[in-house]
Amino acid sequence: MELLKSLYEVGWFLLLIVAGVGVLEGYFYTHFRFYDRKWFFPVLLSVVPLLFWGIFGNMLGGHTFALWLYFLLAEGLIAAFFRYIVKGQHTVPYMLIATAFVGLALLLVYPFVFEFYLSFHDLKLTTIMAWKETGQIPFVWFKQYVNVFTTSPLNDVSIWMLLWRTFLWTFTNVFFHVLGGFALALLLNNNIKGKGIYRTLLVIPWAMPQVVAVLAMRGEFHAENGFVNILLNRLVEWWPALANIGIGPVQWLSNYPLTTCTIINVWLGIPFMMVVILGGLQSISKSYYDAADIDGATYFQKLRYITLPLVKPVAMPAITLGTIWTFNNINVIYLVTGQAGGTEKADILVSAMYKAAFTYNRYSYSAAFAIVIFILLFSISVFYLHGLDAAKED
Amino acid sequence: MIDNKKTSAMSPEELSEKYEKTKESLDQLRGMLMPFLKAQYEKNRKSLERREKIKIFLIHLVIIICCFICIYPLLRIFSISLRPGDKLFSTDLSLIPDGATFSAYVSLLKNTNFLRWLWNSLVITIATSFIGVSLASTAAYAFSRFRFPGKKIGMIILLSSQMIPAGMLILPLFLMIMKMNLMNSYLGMIIAYSVSSLPFSIWILKGYYDTIPRSLEEAALVDGTSAVGAFWRIILPLSTPALSIAFLFNFTTAWNEYLVARVVLFSSQQYTWTLGLFELQGQYLTQWGMFAAGSMLVTIPVLIVFLYSSKWLISGLTLGSVKG
Repeated sequence: MELLKSLYEVGWFLLLIVAGVGVLEGYFYTHFRFYDRKWFFPVLLSVVPLLFWGIFGNMLGGHTFALWLYFLLAEGLIAAFFRYIVKGQHTVPYMLIATAFVGLALLLVYPFVFEFYLSFHDLKLTTIMAWKETGQIPFVWFKQYVNVFTTSPLNDVSIWMLLWRTFLWTFTNVFFHVLGGFALALLLNNNIKGKGIYRTLLVIPWAMPQVVAVLAMRGEFHAENGFVNILLNRLVEWWPALANIGIGPVQWLSNYPLTTCTIINVWLGIPFMMVVILGGLQSISKSYYDAADIDGATYFQKLRYITLPLVKPVAMPAITLGTIWTFNNINVIYLVTGQAGGTEKADILVSAMYKAAFTYNRYSYSAAFAIVIFILLFSISVFYLHGLDAAKED
Repeated sequence: MIDNKKTSAMSPEELSEKYEKTKESLDQLRGMLMPFLKAQYEKNRKSLERREKIKIFLIHLVIIICCFICIYPLLRIFSISLRPGDKLFSTDLSLIPDGATFSAYVSLLKNTNFLRWLWNSLVITIATSFIGVSLASTAAYAFSRFRFPGKKIGMIILLSSQMIPAGMLILPLFLMIMKMNLMNSYLGMIIAYSVSSLPFSIWILKGYYDTIPRSLEEAALVDGTSAVGAFWRIILPLSTPALSIAFLFNFTTAWNEYLVARVVLFSSQQYTWTLGLFELQGQYLTQWGMFAAGSMLVTIPVLIVFLYSSKWLISGLTLGSVKG
């Protein structure tokens, strides 16, 4: 256990070194064809780790043996890779992809592994300074995972409530994105004047920086100065009967935060869907519609039997992507409710994860929470892709 | 049969006479019917045209309403940024308020670190985009032109790395940056951002390289340059459009990023503009005017760049999705 832990702690540093050494060695192997010589492999395996021990042995303190073992292993893997798989043929492509993959390994794969590591430990506000100084955190087995299901990530919302809210949020948003995008695309696909200008104006919510768009919309939902309530006020003044059926200005941000976030996100997301679906509509040949006209098809029949099936291949990837984006959308919810004293009535899973880590400083808890969300999302995706494959085979 | 016998029994004169008669009566009939038919046709055409006109009008109306909804928040921000300080919270809905001034802009530039924030964002974003595009352009070239062991696995790793939710990586990245003592620095931000759009950029660039004919490089290789030389002298200059799409994509992602910046940067001097604006907007709307002015200053250049490049950006997006 001690050995494994020490490996984790210097892991990222070693990964960097090993990747660098790997690139360098690869170059030497393939350029000078050292790998052909019988003595090269054993000499390398013994000399390089020894050298490493000599140079870094004192710097790294107590873990020298573990490190040496690790380095030997890595060295062996690198050498074997170049000797038996590459065989000097593929220098150029490996050199070309090396930098990108080292970057991905360090900043995408390593953090992911590190999150697993964190989720089995106890890193919080009281232990973080000790961790920063010495790299020691208490190991707690599955306690964080138990906590995820039994305690609230925020003040008093349970994970089940968050889960339900997340599905509600994802479904409503994607539904309105597709509906609105499809309707607008159908309208724009008519032969009308000023199409270019309309399209330009309609993509503005997508083109604006999201932070500005969300904060501006948040201002519009302010109880006294926001446009929405001003409009509702005037509506009620103009037609007082509306007040009797419950229409009137409301405290959007404190009483209906999830509705507010949903309206804002629908407003933000429709243009993307519109652009994608419009692209699909424009690629449908007009002859299908002419043939349908001769057969006397009505507008809705044409929509059902020509437009929908032909737009589907373009729209499906966009809808899948949009679903994942919406599920993972921290930005809108955090920008609307994230300020000091903000409400937690609008939080979904991912935003609760973010707040648990950075508002409440429960790092390990948040890591375990993230792993749970990841497993959830992963199994949904696998299930979905499986269903998609089955549908294709039919 | 019967008819044939009858006609054959008639003389040619009789036949022609009969023909004339029939023609006359037919003409008469047509003369009677024609005005009626014409009127009917005219009526139908008019009603169709009217219906078409109403349809077009309705389409225009609906689209204009939608356009209005889309740009209204922007217009509101513009009008708020022009309001004089004492009327910030009026419920006035006019576009150009009474006594419009640029005082919010002036005080934004004078009293806050706004220019500094913009500068910070610019440094971080440009560095990130350069790193991202240069890494992606070489890797995409390897994936597009070479066959090597592990190519397929590499592509799968690229795609599946997109499955990891970005929000999940913020915490480990934050801890790594803290451990490396890079909190509150440009370098920490650049490290955190640099690979976030790498898989997507590689995907787009690979798609574009695939469309460039191989014979161009083969000619260069025959003329004696190396594989790297062919890439540098031929492929890179030819793929400027795709490179600029990738650059733009990296740029906008980093430029609009908020969540990582929120946790890595903590002094006002080092803020990016997103943090700065969030700070200005505040809970009590005290600096509403300055927030609006700052938003306008940030949004307008972004909008111009986006609208100018949207054609290529969208074609780039669909290029990636169709190839996938």
